[in-house]
Amino acid sequence: MPTEKSDLLQGTLDMLILKIVALGPVHGYGISLRIRQISKEVLQVQQGSLYPALHRLEKRGWLEAEWGASDKGRQAKFYELSAKGRKQLESEESNWNRLASAVANILQTAQ
Amino acid sequence: MSWWKSLLPKRASDAQMNSELRFHLDELTDENIAAGMPPDEARRRAILEFGGQEKFKEEVRDVYRVRILDASVVNLKSAFRFIRKSPTFSITVILTLALAIGANSAVFSAIDTILLKPLPFPDADQLMRVDQHNPKNPRPFHLVAPVRLEDWNRLNSTFQALTGYYAEDISESTGPLPEKVTRAWVSPRFFQVWEVTPALGREFTADEETLNGPAAVLVSDRFWRRRFNADPNIVGKNLRLDGHLTPIVGVMPPSFLFPNREADLWCPIPAGLSYGEARENNWFTVIGRLKPGVTVAQARANLATVQAQLGRQFPKTDAELSVGIEPLKETTIADSRRSLWLLFGSVTLLLFIACTNIVALLLSRSAQRQHEISVRFSLGAPRGTLIAQLLTETFLLALIGSGLGLFLAAAASDIFRSLAAQLPRVEEIHLDARIVLYSLACSVVVTLLSGLVPAVRGTRRSLSASLAQSSRSQVSGRNPFQWLLVGVQVALAVTLLAGAGLLLRSFQQLGRVARGFDSSHILSFQLSMNYGETGDMKKLRQFTDRVLETLRATPGVESAAISVGAPGVPFKYETELKLLEGRSESEPKLIAENRLVSASYFATMRIPLLAGEVCRETDGPPTVVVNRAFADAYFRGQPMLGHHVQSIDMGYSGAADIVGISGDARESGLDHAPVPTAYWCAPFAEPGTYFLVRTHNAPMTMAETIRHQLHDIEPMRSAYDFAPLEQHFSDALSENRLRTILLTFFAATALSLACIGLYGTLSYNVNLRRREVGLRLALGALRGQIVKQFLWQGLAVCILGCLAGFALAAASSRVLAGLLYGVSPSDVPTLSGVILLVLVVAAAASLLPAIRASRVDPMQVLRDE
Repeated sequence: MPTEKSDLLQGTLDMLILKIVALGPVHGYGISLRIRQISKEVLQVQQGSLYPALHRLEKRGWLEAEWGASDKGRQAKFYELSAKGRKQLESEESNWNRLASAVANILQTAQ
Repeated sequence: MSWWKSLLPKRASDAQMNSELRFHLDELTDENIAAGMPPDEARRRAILEFGGQEKFKEEVRDVYRVRILDASVVNLKSAFRFIRKSPTFSITVILTLALAIGANSAVFSAIDTILLKPLPFPDADQLMRVDQHNPKNPRPFHLVAPVRLEDWNRLNSTFQALTGYYAEDISESTGPLPEKVTRAWVSPRFFQVWEVTPALGREFTADEETLNGPAAVLVSDRFWRRRFNADPNIVGKNLRLDGHLTPIVGVMPPSFLFPNREADLWCPIPAGLSYGEARENNWFTVIGRLKPGVTVAQARANLATVQAQLGRQFPKTDAELSVGIEPLKETTIADSRRSLWLLFGSVTLLLFIACTNIVALLLSRSAQRQHEISVRFSLGAPRGTLIAQLLTETFLLALIGSGLGLFLAAAASDIFRSLAAQLPRVEEIHLDARIVLYSLACSVVVTLLSGLVPAVRGTRRSLSASLAQSSRSQVSGRNPFQWLLVGVQVALAVTLLAGAGLLLRSFQQLGRVARGFDSSHILSFQLSMNYGETGDMKKLRQFTDRVLETLRATPGVESAAISVGAPGVPFKYETELKLLEGRSESEPKLIAENRLVSASYFATMRIPLLAGEVCRETDGPPTVVVNRAFADAYFRGQPMLGHHVQSIDMGYSGAADIVGISGDARESGLDHAPVPTAYWCAPFAEPGTYFLVRTHNAPMTMAETIRHQLHDIEPMRSAYDFAPLEQHFSDALSENRLRTILLTFFAATALSLACIGLYGTLSYNVNLRRREVGLRLALGALRGQIVKQFLWQGLAVCILGCLAGFALAAASSRVLAGLLYGVSPSDVPTLSGVILLVLVVAAAASLLPAIRASRVDPMQVLRDE
């Protein structure tokens, strides 16, 4: 293991999933793979949280799901962002940015 | 995704979830193999990495689980807490609802049983009452000649079978004293039509249904229990019916109450009796069972064809007859339908009043709970949750109320039976699952009607926030919505009161009406007889004379008479009379009600003779006395004594001499104006004849003496149905009394509810304005002014409510129109009485809070500030 792994902050998993799904239809395994790859192995999503989160988002109508064939021809459930989900992602992103910059400000000022 | 799928609850099936997870595992395994692991190891590591599948499958399932149940339990718990915390409020609401829902369910149970449920026979909607009509008579006999019944049964193609019966009260004398029993003679096919088989024993055999075959009798369940203590070995025992030993062949099931609930015995009447052959002897009541799938209209058309054919075959007797077919249920229910719906309407109004009342109570309650509600808002409770909680509280109250109300509904049968024994099917009323469901439905409706508005208003965020802050400085107590509710209650109560008042008035009018006869001190009773005795008129005459003479000789008896049909009790025997002296075609036909009486009838009933003389009980040509209505309607002052009339339909009357004119008497019901009537002197008692005895003292004190006297001369007969004549009037009016008493009760309840509502709202208002009142008193306002102000506030709403109530009453007066006697729906004394009553009661209800307002101590109020 190259780097220390961090637990995800409560509530950020949903935003990350939405962001990744926004790139195009993708299945659960693909999402966990991408989070790992993009975060350069810092963030690792437990499958135990990933799937409940996916279903929760689907139930809220932010994600839409459809069954299709994967690259290797296996049946997989592909998730896609809905219009409602896109809005939600925008608001969560801007919230996150505000929060992050606020935290950063505090950290800098307090130094 | 199709649009409609989004309407359905989204739910991941386990199979889909499994394949989604399997895909993930497969990919992980592939990844591991790519990293150089052997396939088995790769799989094992993947599973390890993936973690406990079952655990998070459960978590995924949780996502879809709606938490209604949990939320309801929490709400219920808090609702119970709420009820415990405010017992007075809760008890008020619960009792109000128990009364309103209970009364509603009680009336509904009567409607359900009497009007909605089928009669208690298999496929009862196939059962039809079949009558013969003679268009010559406006209200003819509906009875049918046995021979015609057989013709109908043979020639029709729409009925499975037609059967007939007639009933008489006879004597059963195996016991120490003769007992009166009601026997129905039933024609063949009786059991085929009813589709009922004896609970014990067997049906009649073909032998027993033929002429001169062996005798047989089936007994009712009631009779079996009463006389034989439910002896299982009853079959084969004998009854002595009017002197004839008759073996019992079976017991009918308890639900079989036909022709009526008094029926004790059924005997077979063979087809082809000599006196049944005459086509003009009509004495069967006919019941038919339609073939499956046949409509009433088809049956009517079919029997009309059959009767037309008979008309050609027997022009003298059948040409003018037509056939009437009505579902048996309709003829059983008869006129009770209107009374019942009237009661249901009023009891539903009562329920609305109760709901309105509870809305007002809940509103003032939620005003007091503003603090609690705003705290919960600030803690982040969504409005939906709060509304759900408030509704749960109301529902719990409604549920408890309707549960208590079921006790009232359970008593419905007894209440209806004691108030109106004549109501059809009243013995079938009982509490069942349908009524419980109905009460439950009532409580849901009540919850929505009375809980929704307060819950929604009480949780308005802006309102709650502003009220939480401003409650200390609030001065105005204006809440138009609550006053509107009070007004609605008053209006509904006035509607009910107006209806009840009118019914009471017409009942009172009935009591005051000039009857034309004197019914006080008249004892009436019957003697068991059978129609077979009417074959020998000479013997019948001797028997009747002997009984009447014995009665007259009894000390304490002033006079005695007989009459077929009790005077003052609805009894139809209307026929057309033919005037032998001739009558021009242009003059109206002589249609008259016929009464068969003894000559002593006029003296006994004290019906005055206006002209001529009393009819004579001679063996020669019969004589007739007509009433004044007859003379006025058909002769208009022209001489008529000495003319001769003949009844076209009555069996044994020859041409009769009109010998006298009597005063008008309300023979056919106290609520019916006298109609043209012919009294035939017929000193012959027959089954159903009433013996009328004028006594010196209270009538019933003579009953035992008379019974003994009669037993001495007629040991084989039973005397029964002893009652003061007034009792029969009261029985005849029992449906009238039922609706009057119940509606009065509902109206009184409605008025009290409206007053509680008025009192509560005004008190609440006074509380809100205590500070204002205190300030005004401190500034020198007079206490009288304060009282006047609040009193007026209450009364003004009531007056508006009264006006609205009258509009409602006027709009619904059509409902009452046919049920009133002697008052118009807009009877001024009644309606002004209602206004006066409402205003007085409203003033009393307003006075208390108004006086309390004026007693506010200014110093106290100012200190509180």
